[in-house]
Amino acid sequence: MNFPANLKYTKNHEWARVNGNKVTVGITDYAQSELGDIVYVEFNDKGTDVKQDGIFGTVESVKAVSELYAPVTGTIVEVNNALEDTPELINTDCYGNAWMIVIEMKDTSELDNLMDSKKYEDYVSSEAK
Amino acid sequence: MRTPLFNTHVRLNAKMVDFHGWDMPVWYTGIKVEHLATRNACGLFDTSHMGEIYVSSGESVSFLNRMLTIDIHSMKQGQVKYTFLLNSGGGIIDDLTVYCIRPGYTYMLCVNASNKDKDFKWLTSHNKGSTILEDKSPNTSMLALQGPNWASLIKECLDLNLEDLKRFKFMVHSTPSFGDLLISRTGYTGADGVEIFMNNENAEALWNKFVEKGATPCGLGSRDTLRLEMGYPLHGNDIDEHITPFEAGLRFAVDLNKDFFIGKDALVKQKATGMKKRLTGLELMEKGVPRQGHLCLKEDKEVGIITSGSISPVLNKGIALCYLDSSIKEGEHIDILVRNKRLKAIVKRPPFVKGQIHN
Repeated sequence: MNFPANLKYTKNHEWARVNGNKVTVGITDYAQSELGDIVYVEFNDKGTDVKQDGIFGTVESVKAVSELYAPVTGTIVEVNNALEDTPELINTDCYGNAWMIVIEMKDTSELDNLMDSKKYEDYVSSEAK
Repeated sequence: MRTPLFNTHVRLNAKMVDFHGWDMPVWYTGIKVEHLATRNACGLFDTSHMGEIYVSSGESVSFLNRMLTIDIHSMKQGQVKYTFLLNSGGGIIDDLTVYCIRPGYTYMLCVNASNKDKDFKWLTSHNKGSTILEDKSPNTSMLALQGPNWASLIKECLDLNLEDLKRFKFMVHSTPSFGDLLISRTGYTGADGVEIFMNNENAEALWNKFVEKGATPCGLGSRDTLRLEMGYPLHGNDIDEHITPFEAGLRFAVDLNKDFFIGKDALVKQKATGMKKRLTGLELMEKGVPRQGHLCLKEDKEVGIITSGSISPVLNKGIALCYLDSSIKEGEHIDILVRNKRLKAIVKRPPFVKGQIHN
């Protein structure tokens, strides 16, 4: 299982890549492997506001439906609409081309609520038990 | 509970889930891959959680004719039939296959894992005669080998030519390496193939042999999408004790010409009065995934509810089984309510994909 060190992680298994006040968001390798074959995604529209831990979309695998939770509060400024036609990309490239949204962050101090890769890895191994 | 193949599944890195108390593989590499392997080559499923109940005595035929919806008397040795245990209201206690092992005397019922104990109790409580009921599930394993390459795998692994074994027929075969096998030309996938019953101690060796020769290990996830593509109902989802075989579109497995069976009166009555709802299929006309519990709408009127839904890996479209008002006909367009969004669907009688079964 791969958890890049340059990312931050939520307990709901999203990752966040911080670049200034912009945060790119996707789901982790653990999340995609737990869900299995992903067949459908749906995101809130560009321009809408999200709250930290608030729902910004839905991802569905053959077997399961799972909500997506925003790692920070802010405005969605970009949406990866290409995933609607190729949701399987989330299984193969979850940290790359299968990014989901970009949030313009309101309050950078919220980043302190997220985990680093080491902490997230421990969290995942405790959850897997 | 674990099947004798539990350690094998773990060794193959299966993702395990709880299925009615059984620790079962849901997938090994992925549902889609396993689904397509079964459609295009050959899949191998551990279905050892299923129940096997043996019924034996000189009164077996009259007993089973009272309990089941088909005519047992006409069954010949080596024949398999799909049938039901019904309650007095005509509701489906379980759907099962009955195997004629020794005509007039010994029959095997292959029942759903989740219903086995309930079925056994129901049968026992109605058994007033000398018939012996025996639950052989704890000692019996079952593998399903499903897919167009099934016959060549059987040839290679068991040195047995089974292409002439007809659909819904079985044979018993003794092997030096895998003991006695009951091999049945049946399945729950719509792909051609066989289901094989054996003693627990032989399951792992036979599984490994099939895998070594190219069968793809498949979990319950693809078993579910495969049966859904064919429109086969799953007890607990699409049929239950409040649903009759007629409502579920399974009239073919009910023989109303029999003098008596439990539930017959209710079915005769329903045949006369008609049905308010019936099980049918839906194919989504836009992106999305129908799921159990989603409502079906025609304009502003609620006309049904989905009992099973997923994506068809073959069609790459959302498909579902649902109970719809009898007024809604095949080919009509309706909407499915998915998280406050209305998605268009067309009413379509399953199978959603063409079966591949040859006789």
